[in-house]
Amino acid sequence: MRILKLILYPGLLLILSGCVTKFMPEIDESRELLVVEGIITDQNETNTIRLTKSSPLDRKNTIKPVLKCIVNLSDDLGNTWLLKEKGNGYYVTDSTVFRGVLGRSYTLRVDTRNSLPNGYNYESDPVEMKPVPEIDRLYYERVLIAAETDEAPAKEGCEVLLDTRDSGEGCSYFRWDYTETWEISLPYDVTNKICWVTNNSSQILLKNTSHLSQNNISAYPVTFISNETDRLENRYSIFVRQYSISEQEYSYWSRMQTMSEQTGTLYDVMPSSVQGNMNCIEDPSEKVLGFFSVSAKKTKRIYVDELFSGLPALYKDCAVDTVGPTGKIPNLGVSLWIIIDGSYEIPPYRVLTDKKGCADCTVRGTTKKPAFWESEYKHQE
Amino acid sequence: MRKILLLSIFLCFQWLFASAQGDLRLKWDSPETDFREFAAKAEQQLNIRFYYKEEWISDVKVSLQPGYYSLQSVLDMLFAGKSLHYYIDDERNVILTLNFGIKTTGAPAGDETAYMPPSQYADENSSDDDSGNLYYDIGNAAEKDKAGDVTVSGYITDRDTHQPVSGVTVFVAKNSAGTISNEHGYYKITLPRGTHLLQYTFIGMKEKQVNINLFSSGELNIEMNSMLIPIKETVISAEKNVMFQRFEVGMEKINVSNFKLLPSPMGEADIFKNVLLIPGVQSVGEGSAGFNVRGGSADQNLILLYGSPVYNASHLFGFFSSVNSEVIKDVTLYKGGIPARYGGRISSVLDIGTRDGNRQEFAGKAGISPITTQLMVEGPVIKDKLTYMLAGRSTYSNWMLHMFDNSSLKNSSASFYDLNGKVVLDIDKNNKLDLSFYNSHDAFRFNSDTLYAYDNNIVALRWRHFFSNSLFSQITFNNSNYRYNISSTDPAEEAFMMSHRINSTSAKADFNWFMGRHELNFGSDLIRYSVLPGKYMPENDSSLVVPQIIDDEHAYEAGIYVDDKFIVTEYFSVNAGARMSSYLVTGPGNILIYDPDQARSILSVMDTLSYSKGRIYKTYGGPELRFSLNFRLSAKSSLKLNYNRTRQYIHLLSNSTSISPSDTWKLSDYYLKPQTGDQYAAGFYKSLPKGIEASAEIYYKSIRNIVDYKGGTKLVMNSSIERDLIDAEGKAYGFELMLKKQEGTYNWSIGYTYSRTLLRTTGKNSEEIINRGEWFPANFDKPHDLTVTFNYLYSRRLSFSANYVYNTGRPITYPVASYSVGNFMLIHYSDRNRYRLPDYSRLDLSLRYNGNLRSKRIAHPSWTFSVYNILGRENVYSVYFRKEGNVVNGYKLSVFAKAIPSVTYSFDF
Repeated sequence: MRILKLILYPGLLLILSGCVTKFMPEIDESRELLVVEGIITDQNETNTIRLTKSSPLDRKNTIKPVLKCIVNLSDDLGNTWLLKEKGNGYYVTDSTVFRGVLGRSYTLRVDTRNSLPNGYNYESDPVEMKPVPEIDRLYYERVLIAAETDEAPAKEGCEVLLDTRDSGEGCSYFRWDYTETWEISLPYDVTNKICWVTNNSSQILLKNTSHLSQNNISAYPVTFISNETDRLENRYSIFVRQYSISEQEYSYWSRMQTMSEQTGTLYDVMPSSVQGNMNCIEDPSEKVLGFFSVSAKKTKRIYVDELFSGLPALYKDCAVDTVGPTGKIPNLGVSLWIIIDGSYEIPPYRVLTDKKGCADCTVRGTTKKPAFWESEYKHQE
Repeated sequence: MRKILLLSIFLCFQWLFASAQGDLRLKWDSPETDFREFAAKAEQQLNIRFYYKEEWISDVKVSLQPGYYSLQSVLDMLFAGKSLHYYIDDERNVILTLNFGIKTTGAPAGDETAYMPPSQYADENSSDDDSGNLYYDIGNAAEKDKAGDVTVSGYITDRDTHQPVSGVTVFVAKNSAGTISNEHGYYKITLPRGTHLLQYTFIGMKEKQVNINLFSSGELNIEMNSMLIPIKETVISAEKNVMFQRFEVGMEKINVSNFKLLPSPMGEADIFKNVLLIPGVQSVGEGSAGFNVRGGSADQNLILLYGSPVYNASHLFGFFSSVNSEVIKDVTLYKGGIPARYGGRISSVLDIGTRDGNRQEFAGKAGISPITTQLMVEGPVIKDKLTYMLAGRSTYSNWMLHMFDNSSLKNSSASFYDLNGKVVLDIDKNNKLDLSFYNSHDAFRFNSDTLYAYDNNIVALRWRHFFSNSLFSQITFNNSNYRYNISSTDPAEEAFMMSHRINSTSAKADFNWFMGRHELNFGSDLIRYSVLPGKYMPENDSSLVVPQIIDDEHAYEAGIYVDDKFIVTEYFSVNAGARMSSYLVTGPGNILIYDPDQARSILSVMDTLSYSKGRIYKTYGGPELRFSLNFRLSAKSSLKLNYNRTRQYIHLLSNSTSISPSDTWKLSDYYLKPQTGDQYAAGFYKSLPKGIEASAEIYYKSIRNIVDYKGGTKLVMNSSIERDLIDAEGKAYGFELMLKKQEGTYNWSIGYTYSRTLLRTTGKNSEEIINRGEWFPANFDKPHDLTVTFNYLYSRRLSFSANYVYNTGRPITYPVASYSVGNFMLIHYSDRNRYRLPDYSRLDLSLRYNGNLRSKRIAHPSWTFSVYNILGRENVYSVYFRKEGNVVNGYKLSVFAKAIPSVTYSFDF
């Protein structure tokens, strides 16, 4: 419930001379704990479990995979499947042999004794796969960020929303994640001019409808595209995945969300490690991070082609120097690149940039068009 | 020859002496008359003037044979056997007195003006003025040679208000005997016969010394004068002699006239800020309502107003206290040695005593500060019989909010008001009735779509009945209600209103009986609790919210107690008491039963039990012993030992570091056990030269069944909260040192406390264990705490005060590692409370200027200028971490990070 958040703000009203400054505490422990994450769905695809180690806070967060573990999955009928190590901490199921089934409960077991000095056996709680309704409607709305002035045009943003209607699945706890892909086009005639950039969701998206009379969700904000990104410049697409999760998993993500995203007031909830659903067999007090998720999945994709006003011009400061049509350019391809080749113009010239991203879109994305990318413009339903 | 000369000279002098006494030969030829007529005749005849009180001579009859008599011999004869005395002065005044005789040299009495020059008060020897040569005769002179001790007893009242003064120390230095007046102002002291000097002292009042000739047991009523200028400005009372006499270790009394001088933010006199200066009392930080006493959590303090519990004792999230200082008479904090008549909380009792309205004339006070305004009026409806007092406060802070640029704050508003009222009826000498009420309301509207409001309502009726001079009783009925509502209208489909309420009704009977060397207190009380844990309703018709109501909780708490203060010898006294408390949980209720081998969760529910309305389905209870020993080691030092056990049946659920507005009260029930605490304390007190007092107290406390929570638990609207509660036990120990000088134009105090509070979970399942079941510091564990206060009375108009506070930072849980799950970067936290925030240090100053002091003026204004946190130190209240992109950044939040000056203007009328 938003109650906590709603109360926290009034408390801030009275901190008249209160202030907030940066601060990094001294920590004398740095533990690297096992992180287990992954989801088993009902789709005909491989399911991935990833094992990594946590990084101490005072160092940059890098992903440290845990290799050479034995990972297996079993259901409540006694079947077991061994996951194959794909490298980089990923362990996958074989889609020809395993597909998640609605109504079954699954348990994950991880054995790290071969790979870590303090290796243990870990086992998850059994998790039941529950059905999930379709995403009824995935759409977007134009949002005015700043009105038009004499100096500048209006600034607009785009809010992506979804509706879901319960059609008998009885699902009360939802989680979403998404992948965005958008087309960028450099304003210069260079070899790698058009690319597609991909980004995955980085926020925890949850909804609990158990207190509503119907498990309907309307206008859930999936993401907000501000005018500080060029996502909406050409064509943008978002692929949303909807999961039905158990109350325990909802409770886990909800606590994680509270602690990592809603802090900074007088009434902070006391933080503490939230228990996932993985347990260490040999040492029950050993903490295991992450959550083993089992859920049915439904997906939907939309494209946004409309023009939005007030988008940033990310490439307006590219040009840094203009030189003649001939002659060797020192560090060409290393720290300088040609963006406009006017060797055949009158008078001839070449424009240089010191940012590789201005001359080569693969800095940000890939020139390979994604398989799903529709060439026809698809209108919003 | 010489002998004859001497004799005649002697006779001459005798005759002269007789003449000096006046030609007081009376010619009498009237039949039997009453004294009044006799006096009138004598006045006319002899040109004298009689002074007496009607009631003293109402039964005196004058029946003389016609003839000449000396006035003195007539009076001697008339007053024989009665306690009446007379004195004839040089101006031909005949002054009659009851109980005492005048032996002065006859200096004329001084003129009493409203304000006297301070020098008369600042002088430390001023206490001699009163004793002088006045001797009061107590009892029947004929019994003066009998054996055995006798008693002196009576009522002590305030001369101006005629209200009884409780807590006055009555001390006889020669015998090192003493006692204290009880809450009805009555005292009784046992002494051997003979002459004694009785000293009556009380903070804020001029000390009174009375010489007596004690012949046999008798009565001595005393009137004491309030100090005209508050000289004793140090907040915490430590009357020299009180510390020796009190049987309770760890009791502090605060007199109201003093705490108004202490600097505070926003310039408001605040009782809780003053309570924080007492060693052993700490707060979690600014903006936190509540305080911690000797390592106890904030809900372990019983705050009583009009004898009724206050469930939310703050306004504006803890920046103001909810009790208007104008109605307070005195405040007593029991942090150890809680008397048996109090029960229901583990750590302390803060009893706020309120004033009665002025019995003589209409009076009032009004004040303005930057954010609040207040008005108090009082007066008699029937003089000396029926009086009233009404006081109210309100804020107008909205103007300050509208000044902010932030659009959310601009559309917000914050306000509170409170109202206190009391009506006192003196039915007769032995019966007093008073009716009091308190009503407060706070409301915050944030960004025009969210509203948070809470109310306190207290009503109390008390009947004081004095059976005799030794047996007093007090019967009270009260009701205290606290509720809050949070509502939001955005988004419209989910518009909701959430509320919570706790209500308690109680009936108490307390008796106080003086029996020889024993003072017995006994009585009983019954409280009925009713709690609505949470109600979540749609706010309007377009909302889709399904109403959700967590079942009401009901329970009864009953107690019966007896305690005896027994003076064994002059050097040793004992206070032994026992309280038997019990608690009954009543239906209706539905209880889920879980698999006992598993942790309680939705997965382990096995059964549901249902109980109908009124059915008792769980009981708790037990004895609570309260025991103290008091040893007088010398005339200037004493040692006290104390043990007490307390039980607490209601809890405030809070898993944020300070009490937050959405915290809810919960009754003990099927799963949630009551807390039990045992405290052992010892105290040593010494009075040093130059008016300096020193005290050292040491304590150890152990508490069972403390409520703790699984990490990240949402306590609001949680219908199966038993799944998220963890049982823990706690221990707290420490020592408190205090050194202070209370008298003179400069006074100061230094208090240092070292204290630790540790908790440990007792559960077996991994979800119920915090920090692997090891001891960890509680949220309010602050080992070092130093408080220094200083007051300087420059003149009777201008006074200056300063106070400095330093304490160790409170414990905190820090994030330790970050890890990735999917595309999210999450944070893993350290063990609970493994680290500490930086230390806290703050200095405040204030200056108070009293306007015109002339007694004839209608209004007496005063100004207070104060600066809070003059060092401008950014004391860290909280450290938090935010994930920004791929990095975790830490921030520290400081409340009142800069110096805050303020000005308050108030006037008495």
